[in-house]
Amino acid sequence: MTTKTLNIQVNARNRAYALDGTSNDKILNLGLSNAVDLPYECGSGTCGTCKARLISGEICDQWPEAPGRKFLKLKKGEFLMCQCAAKTDSVIEVESFVHTMEAGACVPAPLKGRISSVKLLTPDVIFLQIALQQTVDFDAGQFMLVQFPEIVGFRGWSMVNYERHAKTLDFVIKKKPGGELSEWLFNNNCDGVEVDLFGPMGNATFYSRLAKNILCIAGGSGIAGIMSILSRASQDGYFSQYNGDVFFGVRTMKDAFFLDELSVLRGECGEKLNITIALSEEAAPDDARTDYPLLTFDQGFVHEVAGRHMEDRYQNLRAYLAGPPPLVNGSIGMLLRARVTTDNIRYDKFS
Amino acid sequence: MSWKKVCAVAEVPENALEKFEIDGIEIIIANYGSGFRAFPPRCPHMEEPLCDSGVLFDGMLTCTKHLWQWDMATGERTGIAEKELLFYDVKQEGEDIYAHVEQALVYEDDDDDEEEEDDDDFFNAD
Repeated sequence: MTTKTLNIQVNARNRAYALDGTSNDKILNLGLSNAVDLPYECGSGTCGTCKARLISGEICDQWPEAPGRKFLKLKKGEFLMCQCAAKTDSVIEVESFVHTMEAGACVPAPLKGRISSVKLLTPDVIFLQIALQQTVDFDAGQFMLVQFPEIVGFRGWSMVNYERHAKTLDFVIKKKPGGELSEWLFNNNCDGVEVDLFGPMGNATFYSRLAKNILCIAGGSGIAGIMSILSRASQDGYFSQYNGDVFFGVRTMKDAFFLDELSVLRGECGEKLNITIALSEEAAPDDARTDYPLLTFDQGFVHEVAGRHMEDRYQNLRAYLAGPPPLVNGSIGMLLRARVTTDNIRYDKFS
Repeated sequence: MSWKKVCAVAEVPENALEKFEIDGIEIIIANYGSGFRAFPPRCPHMEEPLCDSGVLFDGMLTCTKHLWQWDMATGERTGIAEKELLFYDVKQEGEDIYAHVEQALVYEDDDDDEEEEDDDDFFNAD
């Protein structure tokens, strides 16, 4: 391991940035932690958004099997900034415009923590809590990259909770049968295990000065970031003035979770907040409405349910989308046809 | 190669994007209401297949990967899009649509894509 300082020059479309780092620093993380808002989406090797081109110098690819490499033209020196670190002084080119983060932004940084809770919310959704060694500020809707010992690479998950100077971070993780991470979390006694984190990241953020009605469409574990948004909105009394419409899609009632928490939020926020649970594979059982009288239940794919319920209520609106790509893409189509402008459609395609 | 019949007008309803193959060259025909456009099948940004990722409405084509947009009437990019779409000339004669296809239009840097296809793990991430 070397601690020699390396100079990495990033030539963006609008200007160049000089970064000082080491051979341990992934270039994306180095830029972001210096408040240089390099392009990325998942930050974890899948989406390809952070591709750049090596002009001079030498880099080390820390995950040559990253699925996002399919977006690269290797002969032209393209690489994923989220997976590569410089080995020598280097010059790289990013073809998009790159700006510095706005004043007051939560600048990402490396963090350390330990697992403080792991439990099942449904047969295939895990709740994970990480206690941090230091507090962190993040915006509602942001995510964190987390790396576990013995598991290759960082994974990105949205925070469920919201508070300034957070000491713990709550996540929900979709459990994959036979998946490396799922197996590790459940076959090991993980309590107290130390983990590395990097963040906060993501632009699908909510803040109260937004001053717009909000529409949230989430599927499965995608509800995590929406919970954080609702938590912040509730703390700020946002729904005393603006409408909130939340649509949470799951297959069946057995797959639903956070219904108690959503009921509490609905109770705190009042009638301007509408929360609908969309079940794609069954009609809502009668006892669901009895058990959760503050929630609405409907049947269908969540973006279709949202379309039916929203009708023509898209004025002065910001939409947040979270879930598998078919949900996000279907929701974007619905919103564009409702004439919601693209600057009011926010999502991070990573989970 | 010159003007080639691509399809019948009825095969591309308003606001639809349909992919066709002309002498081995894939093109998309877009019906934006007041006319038709013909362009290569992939987004110039991240090479998303626009037949799947594209949404056409109000004369605007949007790639849902990163919300890049192009105005079909003017052919120009709008909003956050940083690259132009390339277009084949297109015309309607009677009930048919023709495109002027000399060779496949390729975006800068896309002419020697050497990467083999990978399984898409994006949908199955933990």
